[in-house]
Amino acid sequence: MERIERQPEFDPAPATILVCDDDASLRELVRAVLGPRYRFVEAADGVEALTLARELHPDLIVLDVMLPALSGIEVLEALRLDDELRSLPVVVITAWAHAEVDAQLAGADRFVSKPFDPDDLSAAVEELLA
Amino acid sequence: MTLARRMWLASATLAILVGAAFAALVLAVSAQREATDREARSKDVIAASLQLEKLVSDAEAGFLGFTVTRAGSSLEPYESARRGLPARLRVLQTLVADDPTQRARVQRLTSRIHGYVYLFIAPLIPLLREEPGLNEDAGPAQTGKSQTDEIGRLFRNFRSAENKLAAMAARDADARTHLAVVVGAIVVGASMALITLFGIVLARSIGRPIRAAASGANRIAGGELSLRLPPEGPGEVGELTRAFNSMAERLEENRRELEAQNAELRESERMKTELVSIVSHELRTPLASVLGFTALLLKREFDPPTRRHYLGIVDAQARRLAALLEDFLDVQRIEHEGVDLATEKVDLAVLLDEQAQLYAAQSPKHRLEVDLPERPLTVRGDPNRLAQVVGNLLSNAIKYSPDGGLVEVVAANTGESVRIAVRDRGRGIPADQQSRIFTKFFRGDAGATGITGTGLGLAVSREIVEAHGGSIGFDSDPGEGTTFWLELPGPNGEQMTTDAKTEVGG
Repeated sequence: MERIERQPEFDPAPATILVCDDDASLRELVRAVLGPRYRFVEAADGVEALTLARELHPDLIVLDVMLPALSGIEVLEALRLDDELRSLPVVVITAWAHAEVDAQLAGADRFVSKPFDPDDLSAAVEELLA
Repeated sequence: MTLARRMWLASATLAILVGAAFAALVLAVSAQREATDREARSKDVIAASLQLEKLVSDAEAGFLGFTVTRAGSSLEPYESARRGLPARLRVLQTLVADDPTQRARVQRLTSRIHGYVYLFIAPLIPLLREEPGLNEDAGPAQTGKSQTDEIGRLFRNFRSAENKLAAMAARDADARTHLAVVVGAIVVGASMALITLFGIVLARSIGRPIRAAASGANRIAGGELSLRLPPEGPGEVGELTRAFNSMAERLEENRRELEAQNAELRESERMKTELVSIVSHELRTPLASVLGFTALLLKREFDPPTRRHYLGIVDAQARRLAALLEDFLDVQRIEHEGVDLATEKVDLAVLLDEQAQLYAAQSPKHRLEVDLPERPLTVRGDPNRLAQVVGNLLSNAIKYSPDGGLVEVVAANTGESVRIAVRDRGRGIPADQQSRIFTKFFRGDAGATGITGTGLGLAVSREIVEAHGGSIGFDSDPGEGTTFWLELPGPNGEQMTTDAKTEVGG
């Protein structure tokens, strides 16, 4: 609550976060954890995530690995090959044991394992947006 | 013919041949001995005849001396010859006893000699003693001369015949010996040929199949279990080959069984792996929601409506977990006890509408259309179980057409059976996965592409449909979409027939 009050001093426009997960309840959880100080855009699959990222240039992406149509790893690879989106911070959420290694290769900035502690996700996002 | 019998026959033949060769040898030796005996006897016969002739000429000489001297002492040689004559004649008769021709000659000689010595000389001697003036050089002397000439001639004939006989016997013996030697040589040659032939046959009929069996055994030991020997070779060797082949057959069969068992083990291993990955993903997602929201609620303060909203999500996700667990247990139950149906009259029209609305609400990207030929569409079945099947098919149609689009539900009633088809325009089922679609936990590459599910829906659906006496199947073109259909016994039919006259899928 304190931070939210402090936030406008440094960044008057709220940061936009793209939340990509095929499960609606997990998207809502991410929104609930990060709180009302950010603006959220949601994508339910990989193709949608990539489309929205290119259209909206969000400040950060929270990306689940297991996605229909295009997996999180493929989304990450596509982002890192895109000149405009290359430096976009990405937090990867994974319930998949081997995905962490693959995502690391593709250049994820932070990993949060599913099920995650709310504070871990908050810390990762705040660190990347600081 | 068995090998032992062949060997026995060959040995017997060899024994007979060797026996024949020996017999020929014995024959040759005995012919030679016979010839020697005959020769020796001929010598004896000739010696005896010479001695006899000498006696006759002694008798003649004594008699002629007496006619000249008229002295009794001059008769001494005659008297001595006359005394020895019978014994000498008997000796000669005995020697030629077994030869009719020579015996006849000896008989003639005997009577001549008797005639000369006993009938001619013996009566003349007293006559000459009593009348010393009797002219001795007249008739008697002439008569005696002609008689001794005749006796001499008979002796010569006899001896010449005897010599001829001896020579003939020797020639005959030589011919027989020669024949025996030739026969013996042929038989020995035949024996050698037979032994050689026997050796070759043994080598070919035993050696070759046994070598083949040995190299076959090595190849089988090397893993080449499909190897079979050509079923050749006599008797026991053939048996060995057959035994070898049946051994290989058994080995191959065992290996096939082991491979099948291995495949089963691999399949169950794969199912375990699938299960672990399904549990880790399908259970972790709702669990992550439950844990995440409860942690958030415990750590931070929220206003009552927000808190209530989050608790609602926790509740829904916990129920989702419970439902997943129920699915697993359901499969377990169905596998062990079969499907327990609570059968009643079901209006499929209502059931299909309800399920379509339910799933349409969950996926705004998809348009669901239900097209029925008649209402109501009645079958006998368990409404909850049938709803579960239709729900599964709709859920699959939505999940496997991630780009959205039309999902059609059509039905047809033939009276005997009711056919329901759910058609999507999604990715389709790859040809290599089509045969395993109804296998428990099988999800193809769905897991890797992020499509959620347990891999249980179709397996359970099939059990349910079959428990209703119906059937379930699909037609799929990869890239074009999939049509799943199920047929249930209609209101008029007790058991359903798999007569698929109405083509509603395409």
